[in-house]
Amino acid sequence: MSNHPPLKAGERAFNALLLLLSVGVLYEAYQIAGFDLPNSAGAFPILLGVIMIGSMIAILWGQRHHPKPDTRGVLDEARQFIHEHFPLTIVVFSAMAIAYLLLLRPLGFIIATALFLFVSQVYLRRGRFLAALIITAVATGVIYALFKLLFQVYLP
Amino acid sequence: MGDTLSYFLMAWLDPSLLMLTAIGTLAGIYVGAIPGLSVTMATSILISFTFSWDVNDALALIVGIYTGGVYGGSRTAIMLNIPGAPSSVATSFDGYPLAQQGEAGRAIGLSTVMSVIGGLLGTLVLASVAPFLADMALEFAPRDYFLIAALGLLLVGSLAAESLSRGIFAAAMGAVIGLVGLDPVTADPRFTLGSMQLMGGIHYVVVMIGMFGVAEAFFQLHQLNAKPVRQKVDKIIPSLRLVLKYLPLSIRTSLIGVIVGALPGTGGDIASLFAYDHAKRSVKNPSKPFGQGAYEGLVAPETANNAAVGGAYVPMLTLGMPGDAVTAIIIGALIIHGLNPGPMLMIQTPHIFWFTVGNLVLANIFLLIFGLTGIKIFAKVVELPKAILIPLILVLCVVGSYSLNSSMTQVYWMLGFGLLGYFMKIFRFQMGPVILGVILGPLMDQTYRQAMSSVGDDSGAFLLSLVTNPLSLVLTIAVVLLLLSNTPLKRVFRRRGQA
Repeated sequence: MSNHPPLKAGERAFNALLLLLSVGVLYEAYQIAGFDLPNSAGAFPILLGVIMIGSMIAILWGQRHHPKPDTRGVLDEARQFIHEHFPLTIVVFSAMAIAYLLLLRPLGFIIATALFLFVSQVYLRRGRFLAALIITAVATGVIYALFKLLFQVYLP
Repeated sequence: MGDTLSYFLMAWLDPSLLMLTAIGTLAGIYVGAIPGLSVTMATSILISFTFSWDVNDALALIVGIYTGGVYGGSRTAIMLNIPGAPSSVATSFDGYPLAQQGEAGRAIGLSTVMSVIGGLLGTLVLASVAPFLADMALEFAPRDYFLIAALGLLLVGSLAAESLSRGIFAAAMGAVIGLVGLDPVTADPRFTLGSMQLMGGIHYVVVMIGMFGVAEAFFQLHQLNAKPVRQKVDKIIPSLRLVLKYLPLSIRTSLIGVIVGALPGTGGDIASLFAYDHAKRSVKNPSKPFGQGAYEGLVAPETANNAAVGGAYVPMLTLGMPGDAVTAIIIGALIIHGLNPGPMLMIQTPHIFWFTVGNLVLANIFLLIFGLTGIKIFAKVVELPKAILIPLILVLCVVGSYSLNSSMTQVYWMLGFGLLGYFMKIFRFQMGPVILGVILGPLMDQTYRQAMSSVGDDSGAFLLSLVTNPLSLVLTIAVVLLLLSNTPLKRVFRRRGQA
């Protein structure tokens, strides 16, 4: 029986992606100035690429004795990963967030923000329309007054 | 002396600065206390709004938020057993048992007074040590800065992350993000992938808001329905006798806090755990056993984490090295306002240093006032449901990243970094090393190249210079020891020693 905690579903795939990213960083770093001079624009980036690859290999090496997640095959592991880390609440809230960003320009900051705050609160709190309406009105008003009038920042 | 005093009192005598420090401290207490909000998140969002402000106004607000925020986390740690900030984790060990025994009020009062003592002692050390360190730092060679930055990244990597490899990976990735754009010396594009938009680089505030704001907000969605246990809070002002009884311990743990805080890359979270450990080892007869409501277990972390604030400012103002993630953000703010954090700051703009010292003292006074009052309103506010808080955080993140240069591109980048941060959190990578890497990466690149040029681009001479200069030698040994202490070699040596 291993003393190591089991790997999370999707952990090996994520680490493999990070290793791939590290190789990409090294390749891009080499493209800057090759191995031209030790103080060239690409020298430190090459060092960073090597460090990223080295540390990622160390992470993967350190995990070789960790038990694999309790799943049957790649598809089952992917299913468990989505179930654990992307439950319906997160997926729906993410969709609302993306819709909010896309609607910012067409609807303007105030309407898009009020709509996002109201809908997301109603969804996350399973109802409570009146409370959501009041909080949305107050929060949108305060955010607009604070940032537009007091801080004088540009709003989307 | 006269100038120093006038700089020190600048925030005390100017009504708007006084007000901003007070607002910052009060807001910081709530930001630090509300689970789901953090000081790093608040400062990273806030920083984008203060770009157009006068630098003193921006610094006054940030100092207040930083001081109040580090303290604020202790309140929910005591009342709800939910540390509002990582620096308050150790506070919950004995703070919550005290609250369960009906002593929540006294625990909050004692933690407030001890936080102020720690904060003031930390500021005193900052005021007395920083000018000497800045003088010394003028003699530092570029290779020394390179080594200090490397040491900082290794420290934060080994202490904040699950393993050094994870910390190093996160820091190196942050450094790569920091280098994206045109090289400032040769104008060579670096990591731009042929994109024109990336030529100007990735704004570090976008990375911070994404990783600390968006990622954290999405992570909080997992605990949407967690119900905190409420505590009854009554009289909170502690007796003078109680404060004096724990004064010697508070002085010791303040010193631990300020030293740990001053190490590049380490902050109040690590300082408070060190101080708690020190109290456990050194106090023979605690008021109650540790973990069951010992006052000593409350005093130690609370003094240390606030003392670490003053400590974190030491490397920031003297070397231009962030002491923790919040000072990394403040460094960015100083640079944006045309200031030069590092040894030259004391020479070129001494008013900024003494203004910061005066401001920290003032923030601690406000902390005492706000910390001992308004507890009933506070108890209501911290129970704000996450279902309300999380959408609000997201709106603030959008406003913060858009306001950087009125571009939706920054907002999309922020969301991208939020997603990356969310995945990294799932798989136990820490955000702190990434942010420090973003800030320190360009500095390390610059100092490495300067050091290499100073020895005629000779790699052998560069390596030799790391061990022939006394300061460089000490720093090199520290880097090597830190690396070795986290490798399997340590276990081999230990096994041989035992054999």
